[in-house]
Amino acid sequence: MKKTVAILLSILLITALFTGCGAGPKQTVTLKVWGSQEDQAMLTKMVDEFKAANKGKSYDITFGVVSEADAKTKVLEDPSAAADVFAFANDQIKDLVNAGALYEITRNKEKITSENMEGSIEASTVDGKLYAYPETADNGYFMYYDKSVFSADDVKSLDKMLEVANAKGKKVFMDVSNGWYIASFFLGAGGTLTVGEDGNQKCDFNNDNGVKAGEAIKAFTADPAFLTGDDAVLKGGIGGEIAAGVSGTWNAEDIKSILGDNYAATKLPTFTLGSEQVQMGSFAGYKLVGISSQTKFPVDAMDLGEWLTNEKNQITRFETRAMGPSNKKAASSDAVKANVALAALAEQNQFATSQKDVLGTYWAPAEAFGTAMEAKDYSKPIKEMLDTMVSQIEGK
Amino acid sequence: MQYIDYVTLPWYKKIVVRLTKAAKNLGHNFVALISKIGKFLISAFTGIVGGIKYFFSTFWKGDIRTKLSYLFMGSGCLLRGQIVRGLAFLALQMFYIVYMVSFGWGQLKLFPTLGTATKKEIWDEVNQIYLYEQGDNSMLILLFSVLTIAISIVMFYLYFRNIRMAYENQQLLKAGKKLNTIVDDAREFLDKKLHVTFLSLPTLGVIFFTALPLIFMILIAFTNYDKNHQPPGSLFTWVGLENFRNILSGRDVLATTFKGVLAWTIIWAIFATFSNYILGMLLALMINKKGIKFKSMWRTIFVITIAVPQFVTLLLMSRLLDDRGAVNILLGYLGMGPVKFLTDAAIARVTVIVVNIWVGVPYTMLITTGILMNIPAELYESARIDGAGPYKTFTKITLPYMLFVTTPYLITQFVSNINNFNVIFLLSGGNPLALDYYQAGKTDLLVTWLYKLTVNYQDYNLASTIGIMIFVISAAASLIVYNSSSSAKKEGMFQ
Repeated sequence: MKKTVAILLSILLITALFTGCGAGPKQTVTLKVWGSQEDQAMLTKMVDEFKAANKGKSYDITFGVVSEADAKTKVLEDPSAAADVFAFANDQIKDLVNAGALYEITRNKEKITSENMEGSIEASTVDGKLYAYPETADNGYFMYYDKSVFSADDVKSLDKMLEVANAKGKKVFMDVSNGWYIASFFLGAGGTLTVGEDGNQKCDFNNDNGVKAGEAIKAFTADPAFLTGDDAVLKGGIGGEIAAGVSGTWNAEDIKSILGDNYAATKLPTFTLGSEQVQMGSFAGYKLVGISSQTKFPVDAMDLGEWLTNEKNQITRFETRAMGPSNKKAASSDAVKANVALAALAEQNQFATSQKDVLGTYWAPAEAFGTAMEAKDYSKPIKEMLDTMVSQIEGK
Repeated sequence: MQYIDYVTLPWYKKIVVRLTKAAKNLGHNFVALISKIGKFLISAFTGIVGGIKYFFSTFWKGDIRTKLSYLFMGSGCLLRGQIVRGLAFLALQMFYIVYMVSFGWGQLKLFPTLGTATKKEIWDEVNQIYLYEQGDNSMLILLFSVLTIAISIVMFYLYFRNIRMAYENQQLLKAGKKLNTIVDDAREFLDKKLHVTFLSLPTLGVIFFTALPLIFMILIAFTNYDKNHQPPGSLFTWVGLENFRNILSGRDVLATTFKGVLAWTIIWAIFATFSNYILGMLLALMINKKGIKFKSMWRTIFVITIAVPQFVTLLLMSRLLDDRGAVNILLGYLGMGPVKFLTDAAIARVTVIVVNIWVGVPYTMLITTGILMNIPAELYESARIDGAGPYKTFTKITLPYMLFVTTPYLITQFVSNINNFNVIFLLSGGNPLALDYYQAGKTDLLVTWLYKLTVNYQDYNLASTIGIMIFVISAAASLIVYNSSSSAKKEGMFQ
């Protein structure tokens, strides 16, 4: 029913546009904005300022709680019922564009591309077309550690960390049964994830280096000092049993308050690949703001999307939620540079791979491999498991 | 074979005899089913032929007013004085024509391809944006085509009714009888056709809100509506039986997943159903036993677990049994290694069955308590006099009685366990994920796999196919078990 109404409305709108007689200039612009639960208060403030800055128009802007991680699922459930402006994680962009859910960004494109970091623009672009506004550049992970256990030298190599942790009865935390984190070994070993011409994922994690990386994962997960779990485990154990953990900026405040003076963060360590030491890679993720292709007010929706991600509001995001800005000027401010977690992320980002070529089929098989490793299920050789994983990732 | 011969057989021959009997029954049922289908087909065919014959013969036999009703619905009523009825028919015809011309035909025309035109972009220089002109949307085309076909079928039926009515009116007038006026019609709907008055609204509701969406969903199983074909960005189309072939054929990873998940679903359904049933019954028997004190207190204690909402129990359990959950920490204090309750495939499968016992036993206990109290005490008394021990009385009196009453309950339990979304989803989430499965884990049931495919991966075609398979399995299992149960065979016995 909603769809019929939506179709009728859009037909009406298009006729109104083409006949040029539309409603009066004081037409109310109705927009819906989706953001995560934690962002709601901040979004309301930003939108109020947006309304104040555009006094000439009357707006009716409503909010919905849909986190960046769930945006794709919610939008694709029914694109015509999706919010006009929504935040999403950049790994969803391919699927969203594929389903025709995103509006191509052409208004003020020059300004947006020049003001934001290259990586964030690349992450918002599909086939040379810009489809979203970069919002943050902090969706990555690095190593938090307890200064009272590890020295700055210890955290340079994973082997050394495990050695020290074992000696002191501590644990090194990493959620290996999670496609996002486990990739750091494969990416460090030079593995790549690309999109093939048929639109399916291509993956080479089962080549010789990949198998060595798999062996490294096996050795790491079999170490007595290894510990896995979710964020709750990390936050519950850090400072106590856990002396170091791989996570992202969203845990920075909590970990900082637990560790106090011992709080430290740095890039991921190196690990032993075959016989040599290589740097662990990571995924660099960005949070983006997209416009629904079915919005009735594309111009206003784009203005709002741009507003929510401009320099001033990216600084607001950093100040209220400690989110790392993708805007070049905002990112180079002293306050951002002084942030330990964001500095560690910036350090790790040199070894990071953009997440935009990672499709939905990657996650479950990668997680399954991690689960098997954590369960110490060695019933099949690593090579064979990786072959299965890759064929699953590449789709049937 | 006479009963006396059967009883004297050794136990293994008894089993053989029983199995052959069951197989014979099954064959018999199967033949009966086939002949029923055949009969239905024959009657449908004769019905259609009869209808066509009626259609043409009536046209020859009818007068001008009847003939006119072939073109304008309601003429046969309108021109013979049944104004309201005639106008209603005419209005329906008008509505149908307007609907088809303005909307229905446009959708139906695209039904064979499910749309070809994707969205168009028009550059708007003033605002520096593209204006999107929405193209075809396969999903909406499919949806509205189903609606249009349904409306057309109803219309076809009404059209036939209209002809029939026109001819009947003609016959009635010829026989010198009076035609029903609108008042007579209204009275009839409150008297002879009261069931029509009462049931038309619920029936329409079921058709529009259950049957049509169901047909729409079933049709999706024959398309490639998956994550790579998401309208309106990209369109989907018909692929025939390819989804079924993918799921059932041996080579594909999909087939491996389907087989694995199906096998586990059936194992789960059997264990979940019978563990609850047997343990619940034992519990009820123990509490019911003579000499047990504070019976109502025991019963109350067990029933209290029902007062805690199921999902709360399940979520709590999943936290408790986590790798780093309370139970494992406790085990750690006792010097025992952590048990991977929910992350090791084999242990996780046992865990979900055991937790399900915890959640489900009180219900079976309640139900069986009532039935146990209803078994006539004389039966037990005479059994005791004849020298039967507690085991004999259980297998010869309690169990047959229970099975007789609760077979339908067992079937519903079995089917609902096949579709037991809650326990699996809230407890293990289908995890641990398996490398050789397509987007599924080792404790995933077909229904939770279906959920993952729809919600997380937008593989609607596969989900729909699996849905159909689940239906076939549940329906077949229920029918076979019910038809060969004593509840169905001796239906009249206890009435």
